[in-house]
Amino acid sequence: MLFELTKWLATDVHGFHVFNYITFRAVLATLTALAISFMVGPAMIRKLTEYKVGQAVRDDGPQTHLVKAGTPTMGGALILVAISVSTLLWGNLHNRFIWVVLITTLGFGAVGWVDDYRKVVYKNPKGLSAKEKYFWQSVVGLGVAAFLYATATTPVETTLIVPFFKHLVFPLSAAGFIVLTYLVIVGSSNAVNLTDGLDGLATLPTVMVGSALAIFSYVAGHAVFSKYLGIPYVAGASELMVFCAAMAGAGLGFLWFNAYPAEVFMGDVGALALGAALGVVAVIVRQEIVLFIMGGVFVIETFSVAAQVLYFKYTKKMTGTGKRIFLMAPLHHHYEQKGWKETQVVVRFWIITMMLVLVGLSTLKLR
Amino acid sequence: MGADMRNRTILALGEAHMRGVIAHVTTTPNAHMRFWIITMMLVLVGLSTLKLR
Repeated sequence: MLFELTKWLATDVHGFHVFNYITFRAVLATLTALAISFMVGPAMIRKLTEYKVGQAVRDDGPQTHLVKAGTPTMGGALILVAISVSTLLWGNLHNRFIWVVLITTLGFGAVGWVDDYRKVVYKNPKGLSAKEKYFWQSVVGLGVAAFLYATATTPVETTLIVPFFKHLVFPLSAAGFIVLTYLVIVGSSNAVNLTDGLDGLATLPTVMVGSALAIFSYVAGHAVFSKYLGIPYVAGASELMVFCAAMAGAGLGFLWFNAYPAEVFMGDVGALALGAALGVVAVIVRQEIVLFIMGGVFVIETFSVAAQVLYFKYTKKMTGTGKRIFLMAPLHHHYEQKGWKETQVVVRFWIITMMLVLVGLSTLKLR
Repeated sequence: MGADMRNRTILALGEAHMRGVIAHVTTTPNAHMRFWIITMMLVLVGLSTLKLR
């Protein structure tokens, strides 16, 4: 909205042309989202505490987490407000990608909100049933995938790009594109949700991966840079830098309150939404595989749960006694059980994400 | 001179990171992470000078 205003003002006052630069608006989007988080955060935490919107801790989780019971949850709503307001203020609202990512983020946020609400009201840590959750995630995921395919203007927008190999690309059929997009968005959403089990564990990796995707968006939407670096040119994708910057700002602002010991948890409303946002941005800029690399912590956490469940079921069927690969799943609980402190697990997983993000960014040049 | 000039400190304890911990407002990891967040914001401001001149 402010972008439109500054465009109009620029016709009379030359200085307002600076708002045409996406990079400048991205910085403003970050600062706006940060400011919203800092200003609204304390009041929101007070209200959540007042209304007793407290986290119900898993009864089968680590014993050390029992002290977290009652910590306000659904703080992800703060992230969503900060991202939405900031993007609407500084983004170009004529850009279809901006609306696609906003709708996806808010759609998954709505699913998470219902899940959190049921957990809080019914005091049931399991929340929304798995079937219901996947159904509504699928509705949004498939809808977005179909829309992106239908509105694609160039073949490259529906082509799978393999990092590190300049000429290894796979043009996708309608079904192939929709299935891949669905898996990336829903998979990413659930992966971030599974990772969100320790104070700040999911928040900073989301900020880091989102910031890297901001760079990919900028380059993918820039005709000269994309040609020079040999990555697909997606017209209009640069505008997603504003959204990613807002996500980074909102995430950092939220981390202020979510850092150990957390004053608030993001809940599914935040985790599902942020994961879906990362997924849909990666799909638009054609960097699904790079997202898989950069979000390696999310991926390994998800695999740890799948492996634990499958191995337990397999050994129970074969031997009558279920055995486990990890002391506890997801993986962060395994390390806690091994004696690592919560903050050690969190910071070490952050360090791993930083390294993976660097590997992901290196694909810009190495191909 | 005298009473007004004695034993006055600006912070509960120098350096700045000790203040919140001493005042029992934050814990050590909390103070660390909040200082990291401030640094990240300052890095962003620093990077913005690439474009804003």
